[in-house]
Amino acid sequence: MGVKRIYEEYQRPILGLISLIGLVAVWEFTVTYVIEFNPFFFTKPSHIATATKELLLGDRLWRDLAISSRAFLWGFTTAVIVGIPMGAVMGWRTRVEYTLDPFFTALYASPLVALAPLIILIFGVGLTGKAVLVFLLAVFPFIFNTYTGVKSTDQLLINVVRAFGGKERHLYVNVILPSTLPFIVAGARLAIGRGIVGVIVGEFYAASEGIGFAIAHFGDTYRLPEMFVGIIILSIIAVLLTEALRKFELIIAPYRAEMETR
Amino acid sequence: MTGVVNFYRERESHILGIGFIVLFLVVWEIIPLWVSLPRGVSLFFTTPSKIAAKFYQLMAAGTIQEHFYVSAWEFVVGLGLSIAVGLPFGLILGRSRTMDALLDPYVTALNATPRLVWLPLLIIWFGIGIWSKIMIVFLGAVFPLLINTYAGVKNVDRVLINMVRSFGAREWHVMKIVVLPYSVPYIVAGLRLAIGRAVLGVVVGEFFGATKGLGAMMAIAASAFQVDVVFVGVAIFMGISLIFTLTVKKIESNLTRWRPEQVKTF
Amino acid sequence: MVPYIRAQNVNLTFRPKNRDPVTALQGLSLEVGRGEFLSLVGPSGCGKSTFLNVLLGLLRPDQGEIHLDGKKISGPGYERAMVFQEFGLLPWRTVLANVELGMELKGVPASIRRERASELINLVGLTGFEHHYPHELSGGMKQRVGLARALATDPEVLLMDEPFAALDAQTRDLMQAELLQIWDRTKKTVIFVTHSIEEAAYLSDRVVVVTSRPGRAKKLIDIKLPRPRDYEMRLTPEFNDIKATIWNSLKDELISRGIGDGR
Repeated sequence: MGVKRIYEEYQRPILGLISLIGLVAVWEFTVTYVIEFNPFFFTKPSHIATATKELLLGDRLWRDLAISSRAFLWGFTTAVIVGIPMGAVMGWRTRVEYTLDPFFTALYASPLVALAPLIILIFGVGLTGKAVLVFLLAVFPFIFNTYTGVKSTDQLLINVVRAFGGKERHLYVNVILPSTLPFIVAGARLAIGRGIVGVIVGEFYAASEGIGFAIAHFGDTYRLPEMFVGIIILSIIAVLLTEALRKFELIIAPYRAEMETR
Repeated sequence: MTGVVNFYRERESHILGIGFIVLFLVVWEIIPLWVSLPRGVSLFFTTPSKIAAKFYQLMAAGTIQEHFYVSAWEFVVGLGLSIAVGLPFGLILGRSRTMDALLDPYVTALNATPRLVWLPLLIIWFGIGIWSKIMIVFLGAVFPLLINTYAGVKNVDRVLINMVRSFGAREWHVMKIVVLPYSVPYIVAGLRLAIGRAVLGVVVGEFFGATKGLGAMMAIAASAFQVDVVFVGVAIFMGISLIFTLTVKKIESNLTRWRPEQVKTF
Repeated sequence: MVPYIRAQNVNLTFRPKNRDPVTALQGLSLEVGRGEFLSLVGPSGCGKSTFLNVLLGLLRPDQGEIHLDGKKISGPGYERAMVFQEFGLLPWRTVLANVELGMELKGVPASIRRERASELINLVGLTGFEHHYPHELSGGMKQRVGLARALATDPEVLLMDEPFAALDAQTRDLMQAELLQIWDRTKKTVIFVTHSIEEAAYLSDRVVVVTSRPGRAKKLIDIKLPRPRDYEMRLTPEFNDIKATIWNSLKDELISRGIGDGR
């Protein structure tokens, strides 16, 4: 009874864990005993584990991560500083909205990553080039989500605050900010994904350090276990960041929990 | 005079929107006439008119068509594969709690991480030819489709399912009559995202170790400092993306006739 | 004589994940005659709708069984059809296609389907709206579609789960009158779940008061009003007496549940 009860309560995580362990076991078994193992073409969990240990104990991986993080943070922070006010003004002033909306929509819809070769050409392969790329990809989710958030503020709530004699300041603090914040956080989640794309593309394209470079370099030299470690670490970081933001969304706006698909 | 004012008032949004884009292009065009650019900058600088001229020149030479054909093929096959895989899996995960729980860790992890990180591995597995690009397009496009189909299935009105069940419908009928039609707006929204990701996959995939395709054309041009060729590529991708996005949005707004509620996705 | 529908000692407990089990029905027994119009009234969440879903065959009781015409109910069947409170119309299908749905699943050929659907659309007074979509209809019209769809498979028993609860007061009065006419013409057995004492008294041959959760039949009240019934009848002292009888029986259940404790 007790075991069954626990299983019913935590069915999802238990099944997820079983499935992960199962995959690792089947993978290891198949590659070891069933098919002929070619280390230049494939790898197996035990080799990845060894590589993980080596890389975590060495300092190269940490340096790569630090370098990529710096580029990411610079670009992302700039995107926040530029994107949120820009979106807010677009949402609040109709003329600004009319003027900028088609231009930004065209940019948001197009694969800006296509500019990567040019940006690297202009700003170089170092920190600046990557940060500019991150900014360019991450700024639009902030602009458009802030804009949508401000636009979709319930007119009724605005009228309520005005009817009770609220000043403009009250309007911003008590109505518009709370109803826009969830949109901004959702935008941040999108921006993280796009920002990571920026770093990776920049480092794949031309770099001599950074996690993206490391993955590409391990690939070029056929060190598959190390390459998998890089991919897995990047996945873990991405999952942690997006899940943290999702939790944060639930905390600041539990009533909107159902609104967005993942 | 009032006629002009009224004309402006009625079309203000279009006039301002198009006006800004025109202004942007004009300013860009006349910058080199205004200020003399330093040597280092002028090397990277080009103007809309030069880009247009280059575009025409490359079209006339057939260069663009040649690269475009390769890129389009990668796009079509990759997107086709992702539809063929994403839809059924989305339906299955949406209807089966066990399958959902078993596959959730992979879907979450793969979806959160930019699929581009798999590119080096895909190049090892599929070579630097067309198939590694198709696979990166597939990986990028499959998750928006899968996840949106899943969301559509999960949101299906219980009353409708009970209703068809009350007429003795089996699982297959429930799928066909209720679940699938109900998910269509979600799937179309997913398709819009998937198209964007697929184009991204084509571009980036071709940046690395390819000789054919628009992305390769751009990468090669960039390393030769042919900035106007790079911009021709950017403009083509921009145009294609806009056409796709607007088309799918049009389809989406036609579906709102019976759409149960606003389907919100980015 | 064996009754047409006989529910014996039906028990049903819901066991939702991560929450305490809820006993919805306990020892519910009930007999319904062929062609009878029977209403179930009871406090919110007393299990009336659950019972209807058991009758429909969508839920299986933990204990007890229900026989229909001597046969045990073990799943959905074409001799029963439900009219849902939320209408349950497919939004992407026209009125005609919605009415055809049950027949489609039953495997009725398309031409016969169309003909029969048109007849029923006529019966519920929606002629001219065959090619409209549900979102173009008012609430009352939507429920007419729901009624036509249920009648289309020609069931013996109509199960109606608060069918008029989502309608405004006047539409509701109108729909009640039309339901009575249709019932008179088609001679179906109707089991009708409602919150409204007035509605139950006006429509039914018998009213069953269901206890608050877990639900069981507390009291059977015969409505000895002549038929056909009309709206004026609701203004008579006899009608008020009937309402008072139902109310008195229901009152204790509402109090024991605590009024205001919605669901």
